[in-house]
Amino acid sequence: MQLPANEIFDNPDCIKCARCVEPRIIMNDILQELKSIVGERASASPSERCCYASDASQIAGLPDFVVRPMNTKEVSLILRLCHDQIIPITARGAGTGLAGGCSPVKGGIVLDMSGMNRILEIDIENQLVIVEPGVVAEKLNSALKPHGLFFPPDPGSMAMCTIGGMISYNSSGMRSVKYGTVRNYVLDLEVVLADGQVIHTGRKVLKSSAGYDLTRLFVGSEGTLGIITRAGLKIAPLPKTRKLVLAFFDEAETAGQAVIRVFSRGITPSACEILDKTTLQVLKLCDPMLAIAEEGDLILFEVDGTEGSTNEAAIQIFETCQPLARSVRIVTGQQMQDIWAARRLVGAAISRLDPKKTRIYMGEDVGVPIKKIPALIKKVQQIAAKIDIPAMKYGHIGDGNLHVALFIDVMDDEQWNKLFLAADKIHRAALELGGTVSSEHGIGLARAEYLPEQMGLEAFSVMQSIKNALDPQGILNPGKMGL
Amino acid sequence: MRLDLKSINQCVRCGSCRTFCPVLEESGWESANARGRIMILKGLTCGLSPDSKVLESLNTCTTCGICTENCPAGINPPQMIESARRELVSMGVMTRQQEDLSRIIYASGNTFGETRDRLSWFSSDRSTTPKSADYVYFVGCMNSYRYPETAARTYSLLHRFKATLLPREVCCGSPLMRIGYNASRFVDENCRQISEIGASTVITGCAGCYTTLKNSYPKDFRVLSVPEFLAEHISELDLKKLDLTVTYHDPCHLGRHNRIFEQPRQVIEAICSLMEMKTNREAARCCGGGGGVRAGYRDLSLQMARRRLEDASDEVDYIVTSCPLCIRNLSDAGAGERVIDLVDLVTMALNDPKNAD
Repeated sequence: MQLPANEIFDNPDCIKCARCVEPRIIMNDILQELKSIVGERASASPSERCCYASDASQIAGLPDFVVRPMNTKEVSLILRLCHDQIIPITARGAGTGLAGGCSPVKGGIVLDMSGMNRILEIDIENQLVIVEPGVVAEKLNSALKPHGLFFPPDPGSMAMCTIGGMISYNSSGMRSVKYGTVRNYVLDLEVVLADGQVIHTGRKVLKSSAGYDLTRLFVGSEGTLGIITRAGLKIAPLPKTRKLVLAFFDEAETAGQAVIRVFSRGITPSACEILDKTTLQVLKLCDPMLAIAEEGDLILFEVDGTEGSTNEAAIQIFETCQPLARSVRIVTGQQMQDIWAARRLVGAAISRLDPKKTRIYMGEDVGVPIKKIPALIKKVQQIAAKIDIPAMKYGHIGDGNLHVALFIDVMDDEQWNKLFLAADKIHRAALELGGTVSSEHGIGLARAEYLPEQMGLEAFSVMQSIKNALDPQGILNPGKMGL
Repeated sequence: MRLDLKSINQCVRCGSCRTFCPVLEESGWESANARGRIMILKGLTCGLSPDSKVLESLNTCTTCGICTENCPAGINPPQMIESARRELVSMGVMTRQQEDLSRIIYASGNTFGETRDRLSWFSSDRSTTPKSADYVYFVGCMNSYRYPETAARTYSLLHRFKATLLPREVCCGSPLMRIGYNASRFVDENCRQISEIGASTVITGCAGCYTTLKNSYPKDFRVLSVPEFLAEHISELDLKKLDLTVTYHDPCHLGRHNRIFEQPRQVIEAICSLMEMKTNREAARCCGGGGGVRAGYRDLSLQMARRRLEDASDEVDYIVTSCPLCIRNLSDAGAGERVIDLVDLVTMALNDPKNAD
């Protein structure tokens, strides 16, 4: 069941469906069983269920129960109950997702994993950490910093998103252009399977060629194959220094060309972000003290490493961009940090530009081969102009990932229709350019309809076979990824 | 229910508030976080019944405003929550604690149901207080009845600048407004007395009174907090240096809500060494006492206060603040007499303590 969040309580399919008017006694029995496992950390109150109906996407579904487990044993017992009673179960971290991945669209149980938030081991010698899934990414990095180490994937939501969610959606972020995605860092997972069995997918080793790569199978599986209860992650040494090159362009397309030239010179920036003219305006509103007077489409090239190597790379980028750019300059230190801090907030901050409008996360995560970036930008501009909907474009241009922010007056039905249409056209444009409908946010339900087309029907049926083998009753996050 | 749908819709549910909400940190439930509360508000506009759990969610917000400070979408959850509390109360939906507290305040004019004279802390002949003055010291319920020494010390300091007292001060109305009740009769009564005295400036040592007088009263007079007043007059106070190291706890309703960060620090640094708390100024963690949470959910409130105390170094001699509610909550959470009012620190530093106590 897919419902816009605002209709969740007045939709007859929701609160008056058979599931909700079934003899209350059954629901009470299940609640009592859940309470026997986790005590008062199980709730069936309408208000709590309402809070867990959706993430930041427009996908919503009302759960019947919310449960907050604190250890693997509790998760295992809950899954055994779900298995026996055939109850849908959807895991959730911080609920910061953008594809409805944790929205319980078939009801059942939402498993709030954010309470399992211990960093169990920091193993400096082996360059790895063992964590529970509810650990918040930024807290992990705060714990690693004194050791001169870090966990590189850095989504914009890293101040609140959990490691479990990051693994489940193979998230990444601004530095993936150099450091890769979460998938590159997961060494071992403890997973509770649909019937309550607990397995480990790997070992505390940096590489292994033993058997199928189950670790990689679970990374990005969006909670459809099992519930992650523990993760062994590779960590990396913190770079000694960072520098940021700001290059302003007259047109986003030219900016895209500059990026291709930088890469062609053999430079790999540690971040390479685009902010179009509108996004730059919002960025300045996020932090009015930000020292950016320039206007235009902005590319942020970050380089990291030693003082010498970053100097050399920054100058090379400067020289490469100069012939194409309106202006270029290099910043460091606090100024650089302030720009990054504002950049992290920019996606949700559109209403600072126009308080009547809200940013709706749809069509927001497409990706194409780097060479096709200028074509994608042009296509998105054409779509937005034709449909007459404002679109702010920003994102990780260095890995081909463009975030398109569509913003509308949510009280206006016509604008919703335009939004749906624009999002669909953006997804299809990415596919036509040989790209993906999601680079780092995942499929969930928001993009499920495009997955067979992107993967090809044969590959998609392999995915279905895997799902059937691991979750024959279809209780794990049902309705997601088209499964 | 009539709720501000525009503000509700402005929340993009990004979850940024999860990083900061002190109530979520203790509770773990999404309903104890700003985003969850806004989802509940949205639910209320389309059929969610305002049951006891809804009230618990809305009423456990301390209105500390750290979510507002960090919201990328620029929304103000405490304002939305207070407005929802008002709407629910107007529909007759409230908790027993809300009812009890409002009844007490309406009946006695103070938050404690005290029948004692509000000025019983005032040891001098009451006829010595000027009948008309430019400055009025607004004492507040907490200092009047629970911290009479602080009230006396504050008056002693302010009296040097010819401040007077309201003859029949009543509760400023803050607790009523925070929990969703109408406080206009208290506003009117205090305004009438301020007008009779002819004061141009009202000075208060309570963060709750301050934000209420400043933001919910008619703009007929200037409102100053005691730290602002002391900072303005620091050179006239004749203070000596003390061999102490203290920290400063920013009360939410003075700091984040009204941007008074530097003045208390100026006063402290004129007297002794200041060692900041782990989170301070805009990022300061709430003591857990505000928004009616101490009155309605004491255990939760004290849990938050205990966590706030962890932000203070063991090396400091005192935790100084400028809000009696913060003092009460932090003190009850284990800090005891280590938590003092800024005025208490200033009094210790007076070269001429005459009239100070």
